[in-house]
Amino acid sequence: MREKTLFVRDKEVGFRLALSLCFLLILGGQIAQGAGSGAATALTFSSEQNLGRIDKNPSTPFLRYSPDGRLHAIWIEDDETSSPQGTASMEPHRMSGDRAPSPMRNAVIASSADGGQTWSAQRRVNTEVEAVQGEENGPKIAFDSNGRAFAVWSIPGEKGDKTRANIRFAMENGRGAFTHARTVNEIKDAARFPIIEFAPDGNLMLAWIDRRIDNPKPRQLYMMRLSPEGKALTSNYSVGQGLCECCKLGVAFADGGRTVYMVDRQVDDNQIRNHVVRRSLDGGRTFAAPVVISKDGWQVPSCPHSGPSIGRDSHGKLHVTWFTLGRSEKEAGIYYSLSSDGGKTFAPRRLVHANTAPEILYTTLAVGDDDTIYLAWSNLDHNKRAQIFLRSLSADGQSWSAIEQVSHAPGNASRPVLAVLKNRLNVAWTETDGETSKAVLRNAVVTK
Amino acid sequence: MKLIWLRLLALGQISLAAALVTAAEQPKHLDPVRQNSAPEIGAAAVPFELKTLNGKPIDLSTFRGKPLVLNFFASWCDPCREEMPLINDLAAKAPAIGYSVLAVAVEDSRSAVTQFAKESKLIFPIALDLNSTVKRSYRIFGPPATFFIDREGIIRDIIIGPLTPERASTALTHAGIGR
Repeated sequence: MREKTLFVRDKEVGFRLALSLCFLLILGGQIAQGAGSGAATALTFSSEQNLGRIDKNPSTPFLRYSPDGRLHAIWIEDDETSSPQGTASMEPHRMSGDRAPSPMRNAVIASSADGGQTWSAQRRVNTEVEAVQGEENGPKIAFDSNGRAFAVWSIPGEKGDKTRANIRFAMENGRGAFTHARTVNEIKDAARFPIIEFAPDGNLMLAWIDRRIDNPKPRQLYMMRLSPEGKALTSNYSVGQGLCECCKLGVAFADGGRTVYMVDRQVDDNQIRNHVVRRSLDGGRTFAAPVVISKDGWQVPSCPHSGPSIGRDSHGKLHVTWFTLGRSEKEAGIYYSLSSDGGKTFAPRRLVHANTAPEILYTTLAVGDDDTIYLAWSNLDHNKRAQIFLRSLSADGQSWSAIEQVSHAPGNASRPVLAVLKNRLNVAWTETDGETSKAVLRNAVVTK
Repeated sequence: MKLIWLRLLALGQISLAAALVTAAEQPKHLDPVRQNSAPEIGAAAVPFELKTLNGKPIDLSTFRGKPLVLNFFASWCDPCREEMPLINDLAAKAPAIGYSVLAVAVEDSRSAVTQFAKESKLIFPIALDLNSTVKRSYRIFGPPATFFIDREGIIRDIIIGPLTPERASTALTHAGIGR
């Protein structure tokens, strides 16, 4: 009897030891996952800086590093001749033709040689006074290998209608200023949400959402190519359709510019909005049928105005982030996915941050030199104010950093943008409070 | 007895390990979206005070006693622009029939909305929701959206997305307009 009891006890102790071992192995695995080569990064943020002149209501910053390692920011602010809050700013502007009155806003640019700590004097990009558009439709910049800047922005159409807009293009003239802007859309009052990229093949690629064909209603994706001298290499050409009419685009390149990936929000006949990636293997001349990243099933007949973002890592993986409400508000939030086969298929979506309020959220991502993925987005804080949040995903896709709130806006913060170079990460956004706005920047040092 | 305790201990360890693994795989949330407070049909319209384009205070409660068409829009929003002639038409008919029309501009600026109102010859009062507080309380995931509120301040119909004449007509009836 005693022997039997001992045997049972021995067996039970052995069972317990085995379980303990399993437990330790699992726990050890979890710890290793967080501390191994794919460990999440730590970010040490500087204090906030304001971009632009605070009395001119700066907003809608966009950041980009040029090949020489300088950080550049472009944003919009009230025109010098405008009075606050749209009184004198309602004067008709005649400089670019007989357009209807619109609030005059300039695109301005500045650069930093020390990763965003100190900035050059700002320069105006649009030589003529124009109603440069912001928010989802803000200006963008790209740089050639010599660090020359090329810019695009959108202005309202003939009747002042910002939904029937035009895309303007200008480049540095080599004498410290910008060339006179020209309109690149060949059909007037039909284009907005421009992006510009210097493709690895040495030419500029412009893309935008176009409404020259107003029926069927979902918009078209149009592109054109420009030489480094700004000369048109192509006419405007359509490469896709079915786009949500007010949501920004994203682009990434591979194979020296031969492969181009575009990401956009699609809307179908039932007003279901899914996000897609379309791939070109001929340098953006033609695109394959779009691939749905995730069948979110978000059905909305209104205007969600919050487009997706795409990046490509050094191993060719594509990383995408987007906002969706999904099939119910319980699913609402910022999502992330990746493709390991060049955009043919995408991994199941991963929730980055659930909505904390009934609100459209804005999201963006950037890929670090070490393939760490940085995501920034807006969401409500505990005071019910929209703020900017940030987290990173390790290069092996295994470890998420903790969510960090990077803005502390007294009003609302929205539309974050990111730039990353080596161990520097920069995040900028727009803060609004009542009738005022400001463009805010924070810099971070990345440590493993 | 000891055997039971040993088994319970083992079970606890398994549960703890499973919980750790599950926690590691789950996305981290701050606060999940709050599911209450949705302005539903049959609920009281959420009160608010804003300022108009001209800077005058406007209080939702002052519209009580008459049905109200409450439209949320933005000047940058395509479907909002498309439905504005219909909203204007509703506003033109409102005094004779006995209801009001109020629009709330969301995620927009005074100058842009003033420009839009002038360009579109809008004839109804427009309030500016500059800090998005009213938009959030009405759970507007992107404009346009229109709420049809009866004379008692109760929401009787909601249209998310652009209005059509047919749908607007039904919604007006639900709010007690034109009966």
